[in-house]
Amino acid sequence: MNKLLVVALAVVLAACATVRKVESGSRPVGERMTMTIEGDWNHLDYPGIRPAQIWTMEGVTIDEFLIYSGIRDGQVMHPETPASSQKKNIVFRSNMQIEDVVAMFEGLLTRDGSTFRVISVEPYPFAGGQGFRFEYERIRKVDNVQQRGVGFGAVDRGELFALIYQAPRLTFFPRHKDRVEAIARTVSIR
Amino acid sequence: MKRRDLLAGGAACWACSLVHSAWAQTPADLDYAMPDRLTQPDPASDEGGLWALMDREERSLRRSPFAVRDGGLKAYVQDVACRLGGDHCPDLRIHLVRTPVFNATMSPNGMMQLWTGLLLRIENEAQLAAVVGHEIGHYLQRHTVDRLRDIKARSAFGQFLGLFGLAGAVGQLAVLASAFAYSRDHEREADRIGAILMHQAGYDVAEASRVWGNLLDELKARGQDPELISPLFATHPAPPERRETLAAYAAALPGGSAGDAAYETGTGRFLDEWLDDEVKRAQYAETLVLLSRLLTRRSGQGVIHLHRGDVYRLRGEKGDVDLAMADYQAAIRSADAPPRAYRGIGLTARQLGQKTEAVAALSRYLELAPDAPDARLIGTYVAELR
Ligand SMILES: [Zn+2]
Repeated sequence: MNKLLVVALAVVLAACATVRKVESGSRPVGERMTMTIEGDWNHLDYPGIRPAQIWTMEGVTIDEFLIYSGIRDGQVMHPETPASSQKKNIVFRSNMQIEDVVAMFEGLLTRDGSTFRVISVEPYPFAGGQGFRFEYERIRKVDNVQQRGVGFGAVDRGELFALIYQAPRLTFFPRHKDRVEAIARTVSIR
Repeated sequence: MKRRDLLAGGAACWACSLVHSAWAQTPADLDYAMPDRLTQPDPASDEGGLWALMDREERSLRRSPFAVRDGGLKAYVQDVACRLGGDHCPDLRIHLVRTPVFNATMSPNGMMQLWTGLLLRIENEAQLAAVVGHEIGHYLQRHTVDRLRDIKARSAFGQFLGLFGLAGAVGQLAVLASAFAYSRDHEREADRIGAILMHQAGYDVAEASRVWGNLLDELKARGQDPELISPLFATHPAPPERRETLAAYAAALPGGSAGDAAYETGTGRFLDEWLDDEVKRAQYAETLVLLSRLLTRRSGQGVIHLHRGDVYRLRGEKGDVDLAMADYQAAIRSADAPPRAYRGIGLTARQLGQKTEAVAALSRYLELAPDAPDARLIGTYVAELR
């Protein structure tokens, strides 16, 4: 991680973002989703991150846990800013199949110029129903960090619920992967 | 100062020069004598400092996971540069960078970067020569960075949080490019020299203006007048003027070849990967214009139909299902029939409730690509449909 980036991030976070601790236990996320976590996470909030929540164990420049709860049909995923507004937004549609949802995240996670390669996609139980699970490799454009990522989710009554975790592939991804898998198993949607 | 930012800006030129044009008069001076080989300037000078910075940047670029390392492809592009650059050939080092955006940059130390989004959009060797010749023009004339703006910190932040929608690294690069652009006069001079070098090397200069025409078609597909898309276009003369200038050069420097077959042979085996990266941008209107244009190629029809089918399927607007199916069917009839076209047929048929067709096509896909990353997903679909 280069120094300038960290400084820039710190300055901006001080200006408009909040960080708060999320402690072990059962945690509601959004209106319909609840999940149980073990170990403390840091929940970072700032305007540009919506409609997701972003949590981190090691710091947001290292690992990112993106949580999507109750994304509705037609909702824009991380709207483009005025600076790049000539680009079309990426939108969730409730009739998306598993392969479409994975392609949507592929689009989001490469928007910064990063590469993305799907390693596996499979149906997977999620929140007591049929969902999906995928794994991928990503090379982050800004600093060439080689990441590994895993995603879980389901579309329930037309709304998308999904968890995505990505971290540097050699140290941090293996360190926290089981923790994330465990969280995914505890998700309930009402 | 962060080296990468300086590079992204200081050297950026081809894409940003889209905004510098305005010279639709008949070109007068079509003679050009290349200078002797350039030597590294005094390290104590500004130019020497920039040169050293670029040397360091080049070393990091060589290690970058985004650097395209295929020897054959690099040699092919390097050969084109050498045809154009003559005695300067050993000093021109071309680096190919995997990024699905149309851009090329030239640094004063002889490092040229071509992005894969540019290689995807180029139709023939003469168009490649137009881009490379223009960049060589900047190099030979020692054009230096004309403007600098202090936006480095902002851009670093924007790149990092690009994923979350604050600003994409790629979009940010475009902003940087405009901030660090060469002057309009330098762009004109590079265009003129590029055309002369093309002509001397036996390329059809008319292809240079086609590069701009094709780009304009994609920009228009965004649903806006190119001049309104960005403040950059609004404050500068329109790109069509530049296209006309280059067309005027072509009239004055007739003859030469386009080199379609050579380009397709040299780059064809990367078409699939570059199109994958292009489709992931999720900018479907522009990509459809590009894909339809690429279908005029002589080869790779199956891969192109496959990707156009994927774009229609992913876009999912009214009527897109039928268009997707037609493209997938065309793909499997093509000489290069890619296995993923069966996947596309199967997924589309499944959504239409055509179970028999879906099972047949998805099973065929799994036969042809048993190790595909989505094999378990597709296998489950087949089992559910049976
Ligand atoms: Zn230029």
